[in-house]
Amino acid sequence: MNPEFDMEKMDHLIQEMKRIAGEVELAGHGIPAVVRNTKRIMASIKMLEINISDVSRILKTTKAEDRSSVK
Amino acid sequence: MLADQRYWNPLLETLPLRKVKELQLTKFQCIFKWAYERSKFHRALYDRASIRPEDIRSHEDIRRIPTVEKSMMRDVQRKDPFPYGDALCVPLEEVSEFRQTSGTTGQPVYQADTWQDWEWWAECWSFILWAQGYRPSDRVFIPFGYNVFVAFWAGHYAAEKIGCEVVPGGVLDTTARVLKIQELRATALMATPTYVLGMADTAMNKLGIEPRTLAVNKITCAGEPGAGIPSTKKRMEEAWGAKVFDHAGATEIGAWSYECEAQPGGMHVNEAMFLVEIVDVETGEVIDEPGRQGKMIITAFDRQAQPCVRFDSKDIIEWDPEPCPCGRSFRLIKGGVVGRADDITKVKGVLLAPSAIEEAVRGVDGLGDEYEVVVDKVGDIDRITLRVELRAEALEQANSVKDKLVDQLRIKTNLRYNIKLHDYGSLPRYEVKAKRFKDLRKAH
Repeated sequence: MNPEFDMEKMDHLIQEMKRIAGEVELAGHGIPAVVRNTKRIMASIKMLEINISDVSRILKTTKAEDRSSVK
Repeated sequence: MLADQRYWNPLLETLPLRKVKELQLTKFQCIFKWAYERSKFHRALYDRASIRPEDIRSHEDIRRIPTVEKSMMRDVQRKDPFPYGDALCVPLEEVSEFRQTSGTTGQPVYQADTWQDWEWWAECWSFILWAQGYRPSDRVFIPFGYNVFVAFWAGHYAAEKIGCEVVPGGVLDTTARVLKIQELRATALMATPTYVLGMADTAMNKLGIEPRTLAVNKITCAGEPGAGIPSTKKRMEEAWGAKVFDHAGATEIGAWSYECEAQPGGMHVNEAMFLVEIVDVETGEVIDEPGRQGKMIITAFDRQAQPCVRFDSKDIIEWDPEPCPCGRSFRLIKGGVVGRADDITKVKGVLLAPSAIEEAVRGVDGLGDEYEVVVDKVGDIDRITLRVELRAEALEQANSVKDKLVDQLRIKTNLRYNIKLHDYGSLPRYEVKAKRFKDLRKAH
């Protein structure tokens, strides 16, 4: 795995974006322009999760397993 | 620089196979649970097999899950929530995209997608286009009739996502399309192999334009197996002076496979987004080892409105034992999709794949690109009639061209044919999926 990618950090930032997009949607109190645009943003965030977060969780499990096997 | 990056996502495309398998299991568990909890169709199917989401703990468990056939989807559709019926997993108002299958094997199947699903389609295609060398500097011409068939729709959206300039070549005839490609100096094209050859023919014979002199340097094919058939690929590449790439996808599945710039004689499976299983056509036994053909059972991990879980695609494929020089760890399927389980038919007791006939015809100089195969019966005996076109410049060598074709057909299919030579331009031309194989034996 390429060491320059901090996947945990990327995953954390993606989750933060997701949370913020959700908050924007709520703050819009049903304004169509806010609801529909945040929906689209959420779909793009999902693509980031597919590309980064899902695999980051797998690699995190591996690291944890590696650590426990060393112990 | 972005354009110098070899992979769309190096984290996924170079992930070791062991980790890919782990990722696949986790993602399969999620989509199975999703389908089980939200679709009456899927839940009934799995309840009948006494399989629940918590039973899926390994890849072996996945293999016990019943497959879904296209005919099952036809049966549940045209009912409420209309028209998708019980396979729909989201409220109807969440559906933003409608597509349908071509209906070549029966009544069309409707396909619902949410906006997120549509982003996912474009994401799948982004892997394809980036691997085939599409970059933001490309001007991509898409000569297809934007309609209810998914065809190159997602290719259009993915090219935009990558940053290319996209020219929709929708309601134009072939002549106008060729002229537009010339006028705008388009650098890339997406079309069926039949149409790629048809456009080249129009350019040369109607417009007097050599396609090789145009700026097109790469072509992505879909819809037919031609870009994976060496002789057809060679004809396209020579006509256009461009690299021609294969890709495989389907309305009910998504864009699951792609040839990369290394052109390794096969296609990568996008194993981060799909689980591809190969099973023996006769026994249903799972084939893990390379070199044995079987039909594909496929799952799309992230498609939500109308999930694709262990779908029996009928595509015939085999794993390639060799890794690809491009460095991707996604496995290759050798020669791409080599046929369909429902296309391969027995003639005179021999298994015949229509793609083998194409490989023979397109491999003989002097013959045109079009051909037509008719299988019928004379008494109890199968007869295969093959109609081909002789190019004008080969008229004087008609006999030797025919002899070469007979040899090639014997080598590639082990069958004898009643060959009829026709004038160039006299057989039907197709713009989308060609229908060149007719089996009339059932009518007898």
